[in-house]
Amino acid sequence: MLQTSNYSLVLLIQLSLLAFDLFVNSFSELLRAAPVIQLVLFIIQDIAILFNVIIILLMLFNTYVFQVGLVSLLLERFRALLLLSALYLALSIALHCWILNLRWLNSNRFVWTDGLQTLFVFQRLAAVLYYYLYKRATEYLGDPRLYEDSPWLRDAFARARQ
Amino acid sequence: MDSEAVKTTRVRKASPRRGPRALPPMPSQDTGDEMPLTKTKKRKSKKEPNGVEDPEDPGVELGELPSRRQSESREPLTPEPQDIPPQKKKKKKKVQTPDLATYQEGDPANQPELVNGDGVEHHTDGEEVTRKTKRKKKSKTPEMHYSNELSVEDDDIITDVQPPIPQHSLFSAPLGHSQPVGKVFVERSRRFQAADRLDLTKAGDPMDDLMEVRPLWTTRDVALRVHSGFRVIGLFSHGFLAGYAVWNIIVVYVLAGEQLSTLPNLLQQYHSLAYPSQSLLYLLLSISTVSAFDRVNLAKASMALRGFLTLDPAALASFLYFAALILSLSQQMTSDRINLYPTANETLWPPGSEHQILQPWIVVNLVVALFVGLAWVFVSTRPEMDYTEEFLMAMEVEEYPRMDEKAEIPA
Repeated sequence: MLQTSNYSLVLLIQLSLLAFDLFVNSFSELLRAAPVIQLVLFIIQDIAILFNVIIILLMLFNTYVFQVGLVSLLLERFRALLLLSALYLALSIALHCWILNLRWLNSNRFVWTDGLQTLFVFQRLAAVLYYYLYKRATEYLGDPRLYEDSPWLRDAFARARQ
Repeated sequence: MDSEAVKTTRVRKASPRRGPRALPPMPSQDTGDEMPLTKTKKRKSKKEPNGVEDPEDPGVELGELPSRRQSESREPLTPEPQDIPPQKKKKKKKVQTPDLATYQEGDPANQPELVNGDGVEHHTDGEEVTRKTKRKKKSKTPEMHYSNELSVEDDDIITDVQPPIPQHSLFSAPLGHSQPVGKVFVERSRRFQAADRLDLTKAGDPMDDLMEVRPLWTTRDVALRVHSGFRVIGLFSHGFLAGYAVWNIIVVYVLAGEQLSTLPNLLQQYHSLAYPSQSLLYLLLSISTVSAFDRVNLAKASMALRGFLTLDPAALASFLYFAALILSLSQQMTSDRINLYPTANETLWPPGSEHQILQPWIVVNLVVALFVGLAWVFVSTRPEMDYTEEFLMAMEVEEYPRMDEKAEIPA
């Protein structure tokens, strides 16, 4: 059974990482006076995304539904989040590498091309969808029925065995 | 040395009192030599009131010993100094555990050990008066003990322990009230701790504890609290974004002049504001979009589609926010170009290209402001509507058939 205090702590960590991610996405362009600042911010942001994915996976592993083997139930519910998280992480790393590569020698120059602009738009859009799905998933993982035996779980288990 | 001799003789006299059953090596006679008198007196004073229920018990043991154990008991009596330390350790262990280990587990086999230990310690005490009384008892009851020496003690044990056993089935977990003693071991925070049985029965089952805690503050309550908290932030963001977008477009049009005639003035005045405003716009648009998606419960496709088809205000607002977000992001390049206007060269801002570059940017900003304002109007018509929260609150009721249907898909 998931303890309320543990869940609150994990939720706080997750939302803090999301808030940091949103902050970097919003204001990283303003903090480009020195490329090192952007480099550090981007590294922390990518690690934060990775941490968030690891945390959500650990929370999924911690559910009773997962432990009895009904992974398909969880995947059905959280597949969109997992796929979008992976996509967002890939887009973020690509954009960060591209931007830093262009601005490393002269951080205050015009670097935009159509390709960079497109990647930028997709990365920021994926970020918003990621925030939404991640916040929703963390709230749904507070469902106590995921952590205990219940009639619907027994039914699902019986049907999965047939 | 004389005192030791006296003690050994006492022990030898006492040794016939020991019980006939095969026992683990008890800290009996030799340790009695080493123990100070005060300790044994204390222990005797403790055990007399509670330890031996039947006053005949010492007498019973007195009578049993000469039959079997006499030769055995003499062996450890030979004074061997190298044997003393391990026996001391054993004695210490025994002193710590009798109240907890032997009695609490309620193992019938352990009780006779303690009874015998009592008998032995009585002897080591070496008080003449008690010994005389015991001898009197011994003289009274020898025949009975010789006849059925085991059955008498077994009776004593069985009456205490056996009745609870048939009350439980073989597969049921041992319950607190089946323990014949006052203390049981309960696993708390990954270690077993002794607890009074009365306390345990008062506290009830661990499941009862959970049932008591659960109504206070469950994980679902935390999730709902976080969700409602974010909805408040989102509500603030909707209004702030609408006001900020309108203010932004007004400033741009004022600086651009009539029919966009003073665009160089706009670039001069606005270039330092362009990038911060773009960043703030993205921040507010992100929060507002997530909040609008929450309201329409976008992740549940059927519900979201129904909202769009029925022109639900939350669905319309989320669509408008998402469109505004795309439009705003598409102007990132132009915003950076405006931001770099003071340091611009001929390639970045060719002479006469201001109108060509800035007009789409102004129009897009106007559309963004309109979308955001319209979305805020939609949201503010029904600010309390939140399908995700309803979904979260109905976890126990509504989700059961839904999850059941989902279970059929992989099966």
